[in-house]
Amino acid sequence: MLSANEWSVLVTSFGVASRAVVWSLPIAIAFAYLLSRRAFPGKMLLDGLAHLPLVLPPVLIGFLMLLLLGRRGPIGAWLENVFGVHLAFTAEGASLATAVMTFPLTVRAIRMAFEATDRRLFEAAAVLGAGPVDRFLTVALPLAAPGVLAGAVTAFAAGLGEFGAVITFASNVPGETQTLPLAIYAALQMPDGEEQALRLAGLSFVLAITGLAAAEALQAWSRKRLEQ
Amino acid sequence: MTAGLVADLQVRRRAFSLRASFALPDGVTAVFGPSGAGKSMLLAALAGLLGAGIGRVEVKGRILDDVDRKLHVRPHQRGVGLVFQDARLFPHLTVRGNLDFAARRATKSVVTPQEAATYFDIQMLLDRSIRNLSGGEKSRVALARALLSAPDLLLLDEPFSALDGPRRRAFLEVLREMHDRFGLPMLVVTHQIDDVAALAAQMIALDNGRVVASGPVAEVANRSDFQALLDPSDQGAPVTMTSPKGAAQAWVRADHVLLANVAPVGLSARHIWEVNVVAVDAEASGSVMVRLAGAAGVLRARVTQAAAEELALAPGVKVWAIVKAHAL
Repeated sequence: MLSANEWSVLVTSFGVASRAVVWSLPIAIAFAYLLSRRAFPGKMLLDGLAHLPLVLPPVLIGFLMLLLLGRRGPIGAWLENVFGVHLAFTAEGASLATAVMTFPLTVRAIRMAFEATDRRLFEAAAVLGAGPVDRFLTVALPLAAPGVLAGAVTAFAAGLGEFGAVITFASNVPGETQTLPLAIYAALQMPDGEEQALRLAGLSFVLAITGLAAAEALQAWSRKRLEQ
Repeated sequence: MTAGLVADLQVRRRAFSLRASFALPDGVTAVFGPSGAGKSMLLAALAGLLGAGIGRVEVKGRILDDVDRKLHVRPHQRGVGLVFQDARLFPHLTVRGNLDFAARRATKSVVTPQEAATYFDIQMLLDRSIRNLSGGEKSRVALARALLSAPDLLLLDEPFSALDGPRRRAFLEVLREMHDRFGLPMLVVTHQIDDVAALAAQMIALDNGRVVASGPVAEVANRSDFQALLDPSDQGAPVTMTSPKGAAQAWVRADHVLLANVAPVGLSARHIWEVNVVAVDAEASGSVMVRLAGAAGVLRARVTQAAAEELALAPGVKVWAIVKAHAL
């Protein structure tokens, strides 16, 4: 049904989106938790930073990442010298660009879950002898689990469709960084590529619907587990 | 007196300020006062939930707060338990999960979760979600959980407010037994004077963020400034009653005491005491408050002006005080 090329695009897309989720989730949870707490110095700044990818043009994000993380960028050069890692124009780079772009969505979903939890339960945990980290791991996080799950699934679904930042930072390398939207774009660039683009678009559509349904089902399941 | 709890608190939150200074021995202490007196705030401060800078707190010789030395032990390291009015059980855990949460973090072990469950009669609920528990069941689970955390001092913020009538009395009974069995010092907030008499050996009376009086219940109750804190219909005295079930303290309202100037005969009342009039105070309402003392302690009776004159009530006069047992 699918050609070898289409399979490769699918595998790349899944790989990039899932690695993006794995990379960004812990940081997103930390951000969301901090932002859900009472006011602290620099909260506005942190909030703004988390939302930056939502308001900046994706191409600009990709460009900024190139400047910072490219081989000659300050962080990129350091990474290459110390770890021998380079991110620009690689699959890892595509994941990172995707992670950055989906970060605001993830933080939002998780933050809402943290804000909805009953703060007084943290006091109850404290007087039972649970310290701050303990409270976070055993009370805050489990209670916010449906939100964390929702954030992860949303990030994954959105990650499958990330375009501007990925193509700028990671380029359009088949089998490496060519995800579904990039493949559609590449197909459209070719003469008689329209049929191929349509097939990929159909694939993309099916994936998106499946992702949405999966997100709904997961959320319903985790909420039910909490409310038993 | 070996003081189990010494506190000198100065807390200010928005327009409300709490200033409380007291030293109390171990045992059960009632924190009594009208709503808005600062009772819950007092407990929150002692539990460390209001943060640093609240004054000085010492529990069993261990200093938990000292504003002068910039010392503040955080809530999870204080060894001070707190049972909240709304139980605050963890909704993502079962009853067993809630008990284990406390037991795993306890620095010493008083009882096992299994023993606590048996003791509080919740062993049938262990695998249930806390969402399906009744108010009384939640209170008992919260109490078991607090006991399992093995605190040096247990604070209880009206844990029985959701309960009424017999269930309330049963819960008070559990609290008292728990204290007797585990020797755990407790501070219990209540705004019902009957709870104070039934439960506590000593009390802190709070009004508008200030301590009106603190000390043994009978001593505090005997003070006129404490009586002024009470609703007139609640004014009275704590009395130790002996019944087949043993000795128990109860609050006897002045309105429920009859006086006779001869030894009554042929009465159905079970409690008749020979007492002496200590003082006769006219009240603004036109009635008369008679303070009495006898072998059983101090008693108060409210009578009409006419009755006071008819019985020739005056300090030193011997009378018989009659209390209907079911008023207790």
